[in-house]
Amino acid sequence: MPPAYLGEFEQLLLLAVLRLGTEAYAIDIARELDSRAGRSVSRGALYTSLDRLEDKGLVRWTAAAGGAARCGLPRRLYTVTPAGLAALRASRDTLRRMWRGVEHLLKEPSSS
Amino acid sequence: MSAARSPAPGPEAGLPPRLAAWLLRRSLPPDERGETVLGDLVEEWLSRGGTRAASRRFWRQTVSVAVRYRWRRRRQHEPATAGERNARMSFDNLRQDVRYAVRSYSKAPSFTLTILVTLALGIGASTAIFSMVNGILLRPLPLPDPDTLVYANEVNASGRERTISIAWPNYLDWRVRARSFSGLALTREEPLTMTGVDRAQRLRARRVTGNFFTVLGVSPAIGRGFVDDDDKPNAPAVALLSAGFWQSQMAGDPAAIGSVLKLDGTAYTIVGVLPAGFEYLRPYDVFVPMGTISGTANLTDRGNHNGFSALGRLKPGVTLAAADAELRGISAALEREYPNSNAAVSARTDRLADRVVDSVRLTLMALFGAVGFLLLIACVNVANLLIARGAGRQHELAVRAALGGGRARLATQLLVESTLVSGCGGALGLAVAAGLLRLLVAMAPEGTPRLAGVRLDGAALLFAFGAAAVCGIVFGALPAFQASSAGGQHALVRGRAAGFAARSHRLRRVLIAIETALALILLTGAGLMMRTLQELTQVDTGIRTDHLLTARFVLAGEQWTQARRVTFYDDLLARTAAVPGVGRAALAFSLPIDGSNWNSIFIVADKPVPERAKLPSAAFTPVSIGYFETMGMRLLRGRLFDRTETPDSAKVVVVNETLAKKLWPGEEAVGKRLKQGWPETPDHPTKPGGYFSPWREVVGVVADVKFNGVSNETPLQVYLPLVHDNPRSVALVVRSATAPSAIVPALEGIVRDLDKDLPLFQVRTMEQMLDASIARERMSMLIFVVFALVALALASVGLYGVVAHGVTERTHEIGVRMALGADSHHVLGLVVRQGLSMALVGTAIGVAGAFGLSRWIEALLFGVTATDPATFAAVVTTLLAVATIACYIPAWRATRVDPTTALRVE
Repeated sequence: MPPAYLGEFEQLLLLAVLRLGTEAYAIDIARELDSRAGRSVSRGALYTSLDRLEDKGLVRWTAAAGGAARCGLPRRLYTVTPAGLAALRASRDTLRRMWRGVEHLLKEPSSS
Repeated sequence: MSAARSPAPGPEAGLPPRLAAWLLRRSLPPDERGETVLGDLVEEWLSRGGTRAASRRFWRQTVSVAVRYRWRRRRQHEPATAGERNARMSFDNLRQDVRYAVRSYSKAPSFTLTILVTLALGIGASTAIFSMVNGILLRPLPLPDPDTLVYANEVNASGRERTISIAWPNYLDWRVRARSFSGLALTREEPLTMTGVDRAQRLRARRVTGNFFTVLGVSPAIGRGFVDDDDKPNAPAVALLSAGFWQSQMAGDPAAIGSVLKLDGTAYTIVGVLPAGFEYLRPYDVFVPMGTISGTANLTDRGNHNGFSALGRLKPGVTLAAADAELRGISAALEREYPNSNAAVSARTDRLADRVVDSVRLTLMALFGAVGFLLLIACVNVANLLIARGAGRQHELAVRAALGGGRARLATQLLVESTLVSGCGGALGLAVAAGLLRLLVAMAPEGTPRLAGVRLDGAALLFAFGAAAVCGIVFGALPAFQASSAGGQHALVRGRAAGFAARSHRLRRVLIAIETALALILLTGAGLMMRTLQELTQVDTGIRTDHLLTARFVLAGEQWTQARRVTFYDDLLARTAAVPGVGRAALAFSLPIDGSNWNSIFIVADKPVPERAKLPSAAFTPVSIGYFETMGMRLLRGRLFDRTETPDSAKVVVVNETLAKKLWPGEEAVGKRLKQGWPETPDHPTKPGGYFSPWREVVGVVADVKFNGVSNETPLQVYLPLVHDNPRSVALVVRSATAPSAIVPALEGIVRDLDKDLPLFQVRTMEQMLDASIARERMSMLIFVVFALVALALASVGLYGVVAHGVTERTHEIGVRMALGADSHHVLGLVVRQGLSMALVGTAIGVAGAFGLSRWIEALLFGVTATDPATFAAVVTTLLAVATIACYIPAWRATRVDPTTALRVE
């Protein structure tokens, strides 16, 4: 089966989960997206996107008990599945192929 | 740790918004998945300290989660129910209809534009006028429980009831005897001059009894209100400020309370500031109680009506009629008890809200009626256009019906189209209304009540879209019904469609007749208003109104003794006459057009004294030497005042022609004697300081001048020399050789020079005064004329459309006629005749309608009757002339039809 096609936001989500390691839950993911990608995203969009990635088999989660900071309500801790990793890799390769030979047209990315 | 269903409250933070949490629960899956989302939101809310901002964020996130989850669930997990499927289908249909409508409208831009402009004009104009009516007439007064507030006044009941204002002793008796009111206050407008500041200033002030604000139910924002003790003679002088005055003059400084304001020479202590936005009849700067004037002989004389009116609060359950009857009863009792002073004095009570808008109600209602007609014309025009379009689309609709479009579905489609266009028309109309309303408010005559409250508000929005909806549904339904009832397959056969076309054409002709009738009614209104204004501007005022400047000043306070006042008058006149550009200058107590400041009964020496209720009354006007010459008045007999008038000279008067004719018909008035006041008023001083009124000899008769606006009849008038009667409030009149405005600075300088605490106010030319006196008529005329022209334009465009459409449809017939030898005159006559027949029917209906309806504006007319034949004739001629042109253009085009081309069409 070929790796799943990823939208840009899906890529960002998967990368955020990867970066956070084993402690990735919604609040941290949102914070990561905000601080690193400059993407402020509504909770509705975040949860439904994560659910979509789950439906595609690219992430999975386990429930962890919550502390007093959230009145004892559980947390969802996300990890990226092997299929998710494969999809990310495929996306990166596609992008690389497309970038090759056009970098000089866009000059230094840091100059803007 | 257990996963609690409900988040336990944090120690200090309390709970996240309960309603939001409930909403969130309902939208989330009822398992651990949902719990985690709730947990995340709660955690964030707690970490942000549970503040208001955090709660707002909680709400935002909840809504976003709820919306997304519901949407997702509907798409993925749960199959739609049958009801949902139906709803979705009709929604899809609707979307399709809207898209189709947009497409078909944009394919016919000129048609669409015509409809939109028509609707925008109709809805815009009516919404603007509605906003005026709503803001001025309908919206309750911004006072507590305004429905139980009443306005009472004393009237002279002999003949037509004439308001004469309330005598103080009568008010005191009302207050004791009346049972209808929980409170009854007395008040009058009393402008005061503020001195002791950089530049003396005329303030808008009102004198009120101590219970006034209690009756209104208004308490000061800071400080104390008035109490009954403030009305007692020798009570400390106190004042209440309006919030606006306090802000502008004292920068809203709370320390103003307790400070002193010098008004008309008396020191008033400021005791409070009224709430912002408070108004009684109109805005005021300052309110003062009765204290400083109570106990004066002028006030305690039961025969003196000093300009006061009463404000009452009805007790619960008491009707206006009952209160009115009670005050009339008390007045009748007082008349029996004090026959000398109270002869023919009765009372009249109105709702305060009605009294406030009394002056404009009729005008506004007439305008509202007129704009209603305009809206109706716009609607009829739109219906007409839609029907024409429907007829043109007959084939398209038939095809759609044949392909399975149900009748209801097609009708819906047409309804959607008309609703869409009327919705857009409504939105455009609102924009037009906003602009028009700003113009109307800017143009509104000075003194229009409650203008500040006029704005485009929710009610106006409702009105505009209500009007649009009615337009769209009623007038869109007509063509929709027409089209859908045509029946599918019949219209596919071209020949059968003729029946429908004929039917729709008949309907359009009826609509055109209606439109013409409505336009004629509006034109008649406009015509009558134009005649009124024309009559008003042509009234002979009896004075030369050009190059005449007027201004008022008041010599208030103890320091202005009689002798000082006379000296001041002389100095002022001498210095004014010396100003370059000044021809003549004079002083007067009251001015023409402006109205009388002193009305009094009088008796004449050589006639039997009539019973008290029938004593004649005249406007008494002290004037300086040179007044008649300055105003350009004509002397009819005898002489005018001259230098022989000194404080000690014989008491003389000049009367106007009306008085001379009324009192001495067929006799020489000069040489006769009259005495102002009651028959028993002494003609010489009987006690020091006591009031007396000497006999005065008539030395001259002058031609009448318009004294109370230009439309009111000239009252009986008596002019007295200013040296004999020297009032404190005086108007300066200056006849100039140059533009009157150029000498204003010089005059202000002279008055300031003479007394730095004396402001000149109401500085205006006689022409401005005249303009102001007919401003309301001018504005109604202008609005009526604009409405009528728009109506005429709409009606003629409609007529043109129908005739042109008829010509197009009959191209074949016309071609045949011409091929058979009909000449172009014949064709021209044929088409014009058929078009004009509609206009004629409409005109006939319109004349009948205008005849019936113009009575409603009779009270707004002057110098012309509501059924003035000349106006009706002019209006009918105008309308038919325009209609003829509207018919002629397509008729002329019909004569250009080339018979061979026309015949080849088949």
